[in-house]
Amino acid sequence: MSQLYDIKLRIEEKIQADKLDANEVKGKIGLRAGKLLAFITADTPDDPATIVKLRQAVKDVLNIAL
Amino acid sequence: MKWNSIRTKVLAALLACLVVGVGGILALMHYSFERNSQALAEESVTGAQKLFTILETREISKMTAVSDVLLVNPQVRDAFAAKDRSRLLDLTAPLYPQLKSEGITNWMFHTAEPDMVVFLRLHNSPKFGDALNRFFDKEVARTHERVTGNELAKAGFAVRIIRPFYDAQGGVTGYVEMGEELGQFIHTMKSQTGSDYGLLLNKKFMDRQFWADSSKVWKRRDNWDDNPNFVVADKTTAGDNIFGFQGDLAAVPEQGKVLERFQDGSSVFVRGIFPVRDAAGNTVGAMFVVRDISSFYLAMRRTQRVLVLLTIVALALGTVLVLTLLTRLIFRRLDHIVVVATRVVGGDYKSEIHVSSDDEVGQFEQLFEQFRRVFVDVLEHVPELQGK
Repeated sequence: MSQLYDIKLRIEEKIQADKLDANEVKGKIGLRAGKLLAFITADTPDDPATIVKLRQAVKDVLNIAL
Repeated sequence: MKWNSIRTKVLAALLACLVVGVGGILALMHYSFERNSQALAEESVTGAQKLFTILETREISKMTAVSDVLLVNPQVRDAFAAKDRSRLLDLTAPLYPQLKSEGITNWMFHTAEPDMVVFLRLHNSPKFGDALNRFFDKEVARTHERVTGNELAKAGFAVRIIRPFYDAQGGVTGYVEMGEELGQFIHTMKSQTGSDYGLLLNKKFMDRQFWADSSKVWKRRDNWDDNPNFVVADKTTAGDNIFGFQGDLAAVPEQGKVLERFQDGSSVFVRGIFPVRDAAGNTVGAMFVVRDISSFYLAMRRTQRVLVLLTIVALALGTVLVLTLLTRLIFRRLDHIVVVATRVVGGDYKSEIHVSSDDEVGQFEQLFEQFRRVFVDVLEHVPELQGK
């Protein structure tokens, strides 16, 4: 399992735990990271630059550090 | 609030316009108010000067009319021609109290030149035989025409007329003079206008003995020594504050001058000055005037406040209106586009942008909705998303 997919799963866990609007939160993170979360699967290869961007987007939107 | 948002920038610009606008209006109103106040003050001075001139002219007309009647009275004419003082006094003395009650306080008969001495003083009958040698006397002797104007004599500074008196054959037998004390004037002016007046005379043009004599006649304190250069002829105020003036009386402009605007309690006053000339045309003194302009001043102030308030309210309403329009026409619709775009990226492919108008933002909404459909169509063909 790639790091990118792991981050995606943790985002979904957070959304479920806080009962957030999934489309809105994923949209915001996706736009900030420049990556569509729907494209991230377990087989998606890790790209260090994308990981950094995604983590920063999560920090900005959900205020959590992954 | 985002500091770099268009909404914030527009709001800041509108607030700046509001501040500049209100500041500009305030400055303009202040300028206008000061100009109107100055105009009102100047009008107060010129109004007092006009009233003084009108009263002067009226009194000259009155004294001329009285002297006209005297001139055609054969008994008075003959008594003066015969230089019969006691008869002239008997004939004219009963008239004097009536004339005095009408303001004519000085009444004299003069002998003809070359002596030209006072033959009879109705206002001080025991005193006669003195020569006055004023501009007045010289001028009427030179022209044998009526001479009018302000002149100081032993009975005070007065507006006077002097004219030749003729015998039955038309020869000049002497002169008759009448005068009304300027002190009377300023009390009349006060009763007509409510303003206060004070008459200050330049000692340079005054005769010390005349002033002492007139003070005795009118039973008032001889105030000659109160001031080195000027003497207060009369005033309608209790104190001498009305005369506050640092300058040369002779340099006071013909049309008068506003000295100050001041407040006393809730009342606003204007103090001004205009020159007073004698019959020879010399600026012998100045009339000071203090006028209460509270009603005009406060009305102007009230109008100014209302206008400022209305301006602020109008500009504030304009700001609110512009912001409301911008919010409804632009910001809210842009927010909706952002929300839909975000949700689509987040996986809600059914979110749509509703084109609400065909204006500029509407065209953008339409373009973005078309783009969204293309984007969703592309996503539907991505293998990773098949079945999601």
